[in-house]
Amino acid sequence: MSLTMRIFTASRNGQRMFRTNGACLLAAKRTEPKDIVEVPKGYVYVNNKELSMEMEDITDRAATSMFFGELFRGFGVTLAHIFKEPATINYPFEKGPLSPRFRGEHALRRYPSGEERCIACKLCEAICPAQAITIEAEERADGSRRTTRYDIDMTKCIYCGFCQEACPVDAIVEGPNFEFSTETHEELLYNKEKLLCNGDKWESEIASNLQADHLYR
Amino acid sequence: MFSIILIASLILTIVTIVMFLASILSKKALIDREKSSPFECGFDPKSSSRLPFSLRFFLITIIFLIFDVEIALILPMIIILKFSNIFIWTFTSIIFILILLIGLYHEWNQGMLNWSN
Amino acid sequence: MFYMEFILSLIGSLLLIICVLVSVAFLTLLERKVLGYIQIRKGPNKVGLMGIPQPFCDAIKLFTKEQTYPLLSNYLSYYISPIFSLFLSLFVWMCMPFFVKLYSFNLGGLFFLCCTSLGVYTVMIAGWSSNSNYALLGGLRAVAQTISYEVSLALILLSFVFLIGSYNMMYFFYYQIYIWFLIILFPMALVWLTISLAETNRTPFDFAEGESELVSGFNVEYSSGGFALIFMAEYASILFMSMLFCVIFLGCDVFNLLFYVKLTFISFVFIWARGTLPRFRYDKLMYLAWKCFLSFSLNYLLFFIGFKILLFSFL
Repeated sequence: MSLTMRIFTASRNGQRMFRTNGACLLAAKRTEPKDIVEVPKGYVYVNNKELSMEMEDITDRAATSMFFGELFRGFGVTLAHIFKEPATINYPFEKGPLSPRFRGEHALRRYPSGEERCIACKLCEAICPAQAITIEAEERADGSRRTTRYDIDMTKCIYCGFCQEACPVDAIVEGPNFEFSTETHEELLYNKEKLLCNGDKWESEIASNLQADHLYR
Repeated sequence: MFSIILIASLILTIVTIVMFLASILSKKALIDREKSSPFECGFDPKSSSRLPFSLRFFLITIIFLIFDVEIALILPMIIILKFSNIFIWTFTSIIFILILLIGLYHEWNQGMLNWSN
Repeated sequence: MFYMEFILSLIGSLLLIICVLVSVAFLTLLERKVLGYIQIRKGPNKVGLMGIPQPFCDAIKLFTKEQTYPLLSNYLSYYISPIFSLFLSLFVWMCMPFFVKLYSFNLGGLFFLCCTSLGVYTVMIAGWSSNSNYALLGGLRAVAQTISYEVSLALILLSFVFLIGSYNMMYFFYYQIYIWFLIILFPMALVWLTISLAETNRTPFDFAEGESELVSGFNVEYSSGGFALIFMAEYASILFMSMLFCVIFLGCDVFNLLFYVKLTFISFVFIWARGTLPRFRYDKLMYLAWKCFLSFSLNYLLFFIGFKILLFSFL
């Protein structure tokens, strides 16, 4: 069993199987195939080396080509891979790790009092590289500056996160959700209600992500 | 002999039935102009596909033909071994194989086997 | 009863064909799983328990797909080539040396050579009748490759036939009772394995498919039924070549369950080779066939003729 493991490890790491120490090396002098061309000091010879015609090397080359020597080493590497643990995760039940900086589905946040954060400054609309955000603003009944229309076309959006960086009040954020596929195109053109709903649904996670990352923003 | 023919026709029947099954079972049969045209990654075919092909393939086939005919002649050698004079058999076999070998080396020399695709 | 033997051999062969077809289905699953694990991922495992019903789902999918009709193709030969191809791949199994000599083939080796040579036609006709440039190119390359390696295949098989003294496959059993041919003729085994890889159009010799070069090679215009049959024919010939390797080299001990384990292992080696080796360059492939393997097999044949005379003189 241990011999098998040694073969696997050796082929995986590309090492020689059985090490020779110095005394053995001196005793059985193995000559490397010589450069026939002499090069001055400091130069490196890059063409193919002439094959050495020593009897040892001829038999080595013949045996390698007759018995497929290096091919078996390659096969050993592949066999070792079969017994490694596969990298597959069982998707719906296991998911890959995400960082707090992950940019997923957009959401509009609110203050803890319930008031929406967005003040219609339109910085996000200006900076969006794909011009996915459309904003129309009007004075609200109680005199504050708010949007009447805030649409993000999720099919135009490139999920770069610039809107999130540009927003001065942390209203628009990119949350950690990436599983929002739909069956019709129209459902992916988010309007303000949808974004606010998202915000309410994902607020705790968005808040903890912001908390984890706030020193770098 | 008859049983071989019978099993051959049975296998042929099974395979043909499988192929017909595929034609019958397909739910859709919407023949489309695009689907029926040759596949060239979305483009229209640049040239007709009935043009003659490279000569190299033909030359390889000719060389194969020569060797195959010689193999067909070697095939009965082993059966004949039991019924023939051993000296004549040895002589014939060895001369034959030598002709094959020398033919191969001569072709190699003449460059017929070069850049053979 | 006079007809009993006849009926028994008929039933036997039918059973063999059905088992081969089922094995082909599971060989495709084995290939996908093994290739997956070689690439440190799992193969198909969603369908049933660990993906076991996957081949049946694949078959259902393939058969319910639409059967295309390429315009300007020679539809009759286009339709018939997959049928003929699968027929040949199944028919060649008749020469398997079986328990009670399935068909008592005194010339089984010759039958195998005939069927393999006929298989070349199906590829060529499939490629040509598809009326597509790439199919034609794929078919031509595949044919040139197959016929080049067939010469060496026939010569190596002939070497063994000379050694055995008969074309009967069953004699391989009698001559390997004391030692397998793998041990005494190891380089021949390696060369035979390589030639089998080339004959069945497997990586590293898969120019017929050449996925990255020719989309799908000679079967680019085939869909549903035709593709399924060509696919099954290829896997059936892989299984047959594995069986032949076990018969010739690994002790043709069909009276033992271990034979079938060995057969599966050799099929695994085919798949292992696919996962390990990159594709050859075409001119290197031709060089290998004509300059390397042909000289090898011819010289070995010469040696075996002399050896046979030596052995024969002891009888």
